[in-house]
Amino acid sequence: MASVSVRDVSLNFGSVEVLKKLNLDVEQGEFLVLLGPSGCGKSTLLNCIAGLLDVTAGQIFINGKNVTWEEPKDRGIGMVFQSYALYPQMTVEGNLSFGLKNAGMPRDEIAKRIARAAGILQIEPLLKRKPSALSGGQRQRVAIGRALVRDVDVFLFDEPLSNLDAKLRSELRVEIKRLHQRLNNTMIYVTHDQIEAMTLADRIAVMRGGLIQQLDSPHVIYSKPVNRYVAGFIGSPGMNFIDGAIESGAFKAGDAKIPVERYQAQNGGHAGPATFGIRPEHVAHDEQARSMPFSREVDVEIVEPMGSDTLVWSKLGNQSLSFRTDSERYLKVGDKVLIGFDPARASIFDASSENRL
Amino acid sequence: MSSVSHVAAGHVEPAIAFAAGPHGPKPRPAFSPRNIMIYGTLLLVSIYYLLPLYVMIVTSLKGMPEIRLGNVFSPPLEITFQPWVKAWAEACTGLNCEGLSRGFWNSVRITVPSVILSIAIASLNGYALANWKFKGADIFFTILIFGAFIPYQVMLYPIVIILREIGLYGSLSGLVIVHSIFGMPILTLLFRNYFTSLPEELFKAARVDGAGFWGIYFRIMLPMSLPIFVVAIILQVTGIWNDFLFGVVYTKPDVYPMTVQLNNIVNSVQGVKEYNVNMAATLLTGLVPLIVYFVSGKLFVRGIAAGAVKG
Repeated sequence: MASVSVRDVSLNFGSVEVLKKLNLDVEQGEFLVLLGPSGCGKSTLLNCIAGLLDVTAGQIFINGKNVTWEEPKDRGIGMVFQSYALYPQMTVEGNLSFGLKNAGMPRDEIAKRIARAAGILQIEPLLKRKPSALSGGQRQRVAIGRALVRDVDVFLFDEPLSNLDAKLRSELRVEIKRLHQRLNNTMIYVTHDQIEAMTLADRIAVMRGGLIQQLDSPHVIYSKPVNRYVAGFIGSPGMNFIDGAIESGAFKAGDAKIPVERYQAQNGGHAGPATFGIRPEHVAHDEQARSMPFSREVDVEIVEPMGSDTLVWSKLGNQSLSFRTDSERYLKVGDKVLIGFDPARASIFDASSENRL
Repeated sequence: MSSVSHVAAGHVEPAIAFAAGPHGPKPRPAFSPRNIMIYGTLLLVSIYYLLPLYVMIVTSLKGMPEIRLGNVFSPPLEITFQPWVKAWAEACTGLNCEGLSRGFWNSVRITVPSVILSIAIASLNGYALANWKFKGADIFFTILIFGAFIPYQVMLYPIVIILREIGLYGSLSGLVIVHSIFGMPILTLLFRNYFTSLPEELFKAARVDGAGFWGIYFRIMLPMSLPIFVVAIILQVTGIWNDFLFGVVYTKPDVYPMTVQLNNIVNSVQGVKEYNVNMAATLLTGLVPLIVYFVSGKLFVRGIAAGAVKG
């Protein structure tokens, strides 16, 4: 049975359609990430699941119960917000117990739950402090604790790490993953950060314009994006797109002719205008390139050293193409280098529909 | 730190020699034209505003013979508090010779309930408008704000009729209701803007935590809104205390507020004009708003900045 089930949900703000007949099923114990740029409706969807926004049409089920008209507190959810949203006038303990007191829970049970949550999140020394006396990371831990004490089946995270600096973000990311492995709750996590999505998710739902573009495991989303939008959104540095056409078993763009027999087309594939997508990390160079089904010598135009590796920009078929090299391979502008790749690892999209071929 | 400065102090020669020319902070002379301009203007303006207050205070401390000499600006030769006592307890308005004390207590009985009532309702209005968007909320708010721009004079007579019909005309409670209603537009705007400026996620978190309309208001919003409450209290206390128009229109002589009584004392035509008593009475009437400003000046500025009129 699905833990959270969203059926044909639409939401309009006035005449603006934010969610358009959206369907989503989240399994028990699954970590689902809603990924998309700002304005794609991912936070709105989360607010609808939480009951903080009324849907215009459709139904929402949590643990098999229709909660479409239920108040947030009756839905069996806990929520963590981007700005932490801790009550500033209460201590950490007061923040954790606020919801439980509202529910009329006996004192000793409240104390037990706070002790457990504080133990899991290692915030015992902070219980008597006010939120203003905490660092960003500690605040977010308390905010997670506030969801934890509610002892619910479904956790909702609304960009919980976006307000933290890069180092803390990666630390807390690991902690959230550890928390999920320990509690095994259903978690729905909204983010615009693809690294968070890739590292945390069991499945990623890539959203755009109030619709889910692709819902699959991080690996499939990365290696077999269903359309050009998903392909461009996932991956950093981004995928190379080369416009051209498929003619008699090869992709032609300018003077380049890439054989595509090895490419596994989803629905047979067909000739005509298309876009060839290849990720920079799948382009080999020098010795390795020689053994690839497609290889050619290109000019180096721009070199971007990133420490762990170096991104090199050149031209293929008169369109720009970037590829990754080892940081020890020193290239400079004007050098010639042999590159090559296996079209089996590429993605080819129809030029007009932008869907994967 | 201290050890470092010790070492530095021990060195006579600087480690790095400065090149000739400017170094360090640029010298700013105390009597630059710019400073003279700024402080001169400030001084002049303060004198202009403080002089009348000075005249009032010295006059109220003089006896009548000294006032007749005509030296308005000279300090009192012989300080007397008799005018203050007379203004408070003996000055006559019509047949009544109880001084301003009666008006003072009337004003207290008008101001306290009006302030509490208007702020209680307006803060709830503002909270509901900011956080619980209901159907027609925008229209309701527009109408309410429009109320702030209607001149009071237009509504004087209709309100007289309404108060008469409900049997509150001429009573203190009638005036309290009038003050509460007239404070509503600006106070609601103030509170709505303040509550809108609080993070929305806080409100959402409280809803997930199961707090309802009143729970969120009392437990989450109120404790965070002290500055704006101080602003509202100051606005209302001074506004209602200083009100003359509603006081004179909607009350009867035995429940006149202090401002109306002050007017009656100062403008009484019988006998000699006792300038010292008039000055003392005016200062007494102005004392309450003055004290409110002095006590809460800092909080006021902080609150105004927090609830600044935006969106």
